[in-house]
Amino acid sequence: MEDTLYAILLWLEESALGEAVRDSGVWTYGWLNLAHILGIATLFGAMLILDLRLLGAWRSIALPLLARPTIPLAAVGFLIAVTSGATMLTVNATGYEGNPFLYTKLPLIGVAVINVLVVQRLTAWRRALAGHDPGSGDHRVLGIVGAISLLLWLAIIACGRMIGYW
Amino acid sequence: MRSKNQMAIVTALLLGALPAFAHHGWSGNEGEISVTGVVEATVNLSGPHGTMQVRDAEGTLWHITLAPAPRTHRAGLREDTIPVGAEVTVHGARNEDSGQNEIKTRRVTYDGTHYDVYPPPRD
Repeated sequence: MEDTLYAILLWLEESALGEAVRDSGVWTYGWLNLAHILGIATLFGAMLILDLRLLGAWRSIALPLLARPTIPLAAVGFLIAVTSGATMLTVNATGYEGNPFLYTKLPLIGVAVINVLVVQRLTAWRRALAGHDPGSGDHRVLGIVGAISLLLWLAIIACGRMIGYW
Repeated sequence: MRSKNQMAIVTALLLGALPAFAHHGWSGNEGEISVTGVVEATVNLSGPHGTMQVRDAEGTLWHITLAPAPRTHRAGLREDTIPVGAEVTVHGARNEDSGQNEIKTRRVTYDGTHYDVYPPPRD
């Protein structure tokens, strides 16, 4: 795992993108940082609403109604955050070798993506998203799914914030 | 009365944010240190903080952490300001981990010019 992560870091740093960013002026890193935080705000804001709904908040609002704005927003926010984050890493990626927060964060992002793929295949989720009547135990399943998602994103954001303090 | 309370809350939050900023800047670095040596890697302003490398007379390679790139740039310290091989004096706070030869820099002096990337510490 450690070797794989280091190989990714080295590949990022030696990429043409890394070279271009390093040569592009003193404000570039700041702009990337701005894009990153906007991406996170969009992703997490949307996921917070959706996950709290799955946990039982705002039951009077049908899940399909909430899912319509929150899922595309979360997807767009995720793409912005990943793109800007990877680009920031290219600047000096190997400088983060062994950083426990980065080495926790990157695998957790993988877990979070897998979690999304799994949720999409759950019968309880499909029923709720289609606006059908819930089966027995659906509330419980969706609540667990919402809690897992929320904890994952909180952990990812916390790790990301701490990278620079290590 | 209500707005007074709100002001107090806002002020408290702002004051709370100050140590948080200082924390990112200087915790892990302590004491004042001056190192004079020869530049091995010139000023690099591509990352979150500017960096350079200086080797002192004893042969120790010092990793010099400057201010964030725009701030270092504004202090007059550009990537082409100091060439490799030039003698510089770096003043700042040393990484408290003595195994790390890293200085969080306040001032770089080169060719009689002071580049203050951070203000000197207050008494």
